[in-house]
Amino acid sequence: MKRDAEPATNVQADVVIVGSGAAGGMAAFSLTKAGLRCILLEAGRDYDPQAEVNMFAPESDAPLRGAATPDKPFGYFDATVGGGWQVDGEPYTLREGSDFRWYRPRMLGGRTNHWGRHVPRFGPYDFKPFSRDGLGVDWPIGYDDLAPFYDRVERMVGVNGGPIGLENHPDSPPGCLMPPPHPRIPEMLIKAAAEDLGIPVRAAHTAVLTRDMPDAVAPRSACLNATPCTRGCTIGAMFQTTTSLLPMAKATGRLTIVTDAMVSRVTMARPDRAAGVEYVDRKTGLRHTVNARVVVLAAGTGETTRLLLNSGEGGRGLANSSGELGRNLTDSTGASFRAYIPALADRPRYNEDGIGGQHIYIPFWLYQQQKRGELDFARGYHFEIGGRFGIPPADAVPRVWGSALKKAVRTASGATIQLTLRGEMIPNKDSFCEADPVVKDRFGIPVLRFAFRWSQNEVNQVAHGRRTAHAVFKRMGGTILDPDLPPEKIMTAGGEIIHELGTARMGADKRSSVVDGYGRTWDVDNLVLMDGAVFASGAHKNPTLTILALALRASEHLARRLKSGAFA
Amino acid sequence: MTPSRRTTMQWMMAAAAMPLAHWTTPAMAEGVDDAAGAVPSFDVIADWPDIPPPPPAPGYGRDPDLANPQVPWPLTLAAAQRKTVDVLGDLILPKDAASPGAGALGVGAFIDEWISAPYPQQRADRAKVVGGLLWLDAQSHALHNRAFVGIGPQQQATLLDALSVPVPIAKMVAPVAFMDTLRRLFVLGFYSLPEGKADMGYIGDQPTAGAYPGPTSEALSHYAHALGRMGLKMPTA
Repeated sequence: MKRDAEPATNVQADVVIVGSGAAGGMAAFSLTKAGLRCILLEAGRDYDPQAEVNMFAPESDAPLRGAATPDKPFGYFDATVGGGWQVDGEPYTLREGSDFRWYRPRMLGGRTNHWGRHVPRFGPYDFKPFSRDGLGVDWPIGYDDLAPFYDRVERMVGVNGGPIGLENHPDSPPGCLMPPPHPRIPEMLIKAAAEDLGIPVRAAHTAVLTRDMPDAVAPRSACLNATPCTRGCTIGAMFQTTTSLLPMAKATGRLTIVTDAMVSRVTMARPDRAAGVEYVDRKTGLRHTVNARVVVLAAGTGETTRLLLNSGEGGRGLANSSGELGRNLTDSTGASFRAYIPALADRPRYNEDGIGGQHIYIPFWLYQQQKRGELDFARGYHFEIGGRFGIPPADAVPRVWGSALKKAVRTASGATIQLTLRGEMIPNKDSFCEADPVVKDRFGIPVLRFAFRWSQNEVNQVAHGRRTAHAVFKRMGGTILDPDLPPEKIMTAGGEIIHELGTARMGADKRSSVVDGYGRTWDVDNLVLMDGAVFASGAHKNPTLTILALALRASEHLARRLKSGAFA
Repeated sequence: MTPSRRTTMQWMMAAAAMPLAHWTTPAMAEGVDDAAGAVPSFDVIADWPDIPPPPPAPGYGRDPDLANPQVPWPLTLAAAQRKTVDVLGDLILPKDAASPGAGALGVGAFIDEWISAPYPQQRADRAKVVGGLLWLDAQSHALHNRAFVGIGPQQQATLLDALSVPVPIAKMVAPVAFMDTLRRLFVLGFYSLPEGKADMGYIGDQPTAGAYPGPTSEALSHYAHALGRMGLKMPTA
């Protein structure tokens, strides 16, 4: 039943922000600090980590020992609320022959509540990929444009790490990073073996505090070296907008947050000027409108794109004169490699919890070989490192029973290691999203339909990664536990790494891109995009730090425009 | 019909007489070659039972109360089946100086909770476990005229040995997969409890203020020796 839209609140907003994750949280923080009144709409429910996170319960308190299920894809205690790979009543569809996974939480703070926390900087090559290898497109900005914002974001969100000192892996200036944690034994062994093969290993950059971060409103504490980060962090050691940017923005008195607000479209004052947005209250089904001088979309790559596709006139979507809206969809490549390392069997026990995830990682190191044409793939990949004490995987335990099984478990605990590949995908014409012409969600909003295909470039990259990982394992005398399958069969599905990017990309002109270097849509001056949709390329580097830096830069640019009298 | 050990031997002799490349059976399509499989020491092998699919059951949903975890689905095992699972738990992970047996520790309750859950992985495991419990009793009856819990320790051990071979013959593929599933579930259920963590010597889940201390000197010494044996250099920093 369609009801007439009615004004949601009496708030007079300068800016309406859609989404409360990394991009929306940063926009709300930056714009309210600049003196602007903001209303933030979040599709999911209200969420307070301090009230809800069960940080210390053992997995044995949970159903199924906390194992992943379709209801809780990353385990029972994982912070994801109301969604996951599926959201009830809000499907998405696939073009025939395509496989794509779309991860959607429905909660204040979005994915920052349960994210991976690995925050490498993009480097100079990553912003000019076309200039380097003739594939894809260049960004309209370069590393030097974003570097000051990387510096500030690292200090704002709290990042630990060390120097990298490698080509296309920029180091942070002094004062940006907190000290990294000591590596664990399996990580140290991987470092020794990899470096013996000429493969570098460095301290990872991780968005977890290793020093207290005082603040009058949202003080955060250094990591207590225990509990799984993806449950959320009641002491604020892991960066989440719900324990940092959002409460700090609220404390200005200039932020209104509305949760359970599923935005359905951007409303227009005239063809080149947005009036605000229309949303559906998830609890009542009522439609409301919010008017503002500027509309910021930070709903996540897929939802931001869907919103634009479902707005505007004539079915072409809003801000799509270039025809690029929905195109250039990428995800990171993914594959995992594992081995049993006899040298780690029965090793002395100690506490390996550390700061949660990896302490060190393998950055991409083959830029010169690639430049000389010695590799059969373009762009890079990195390895994230895993391996700790705990219950060994079933395939590291022999088919025995009785006292032999108990002995085998003790021996194998802490003796398996994992190298997880994350690589860059080059945009291709067969990977995109579009509004489904038929299927609508429970609010009557057309859903997204995805098409996706890896190219030979990505397949060759994963094959190279497997050869590399297995060489490292063999150097350690390891027994490889991976099935012997072609690379196509060991790659993750599109979207599965949850790094979907690029469907409203930025560029130097309105013919080939949806937004400019500040996320401003070429067609609608007061409509600004701030999430992963604006990426012109994905790099192999986890995107959240770059999303935060771009959102900060775009927000400050927007604040200057508003203060100079634009959109009066 | 239950093929006897003699029948199995006849298959094996037939296989040996054939060029291997042409020796294909449905069992081989599953990667199992009777010619290479371990033949059990008993000469009767019970048929694998058909298990009807379970009725639908509720999951815990996408937004459960994390502070008060609840299992909303009904359990599966009858008292006699649960007793068999507990006996199997104490055989698969027996009491020793380091920890109690998995059956005595109550891990059977976790097995029942797991196989009763409405999710795809658990439904697949349910078919293996419920089928396997029926098979195990049928096999015990065929050999010893008693259910599995009523036969002697040596007879139980013979059965579990037959279910733990690296390469089973075709007729034993499903029973061995049952044992694999039970082993995996008992290991998960047992070593996630405090008694199991203590058995592994697991140290963790302890809030520690200040910088992460890293490996102990004993762990570092063990590491240095491992590097030496591999001819690897101690990495810098």
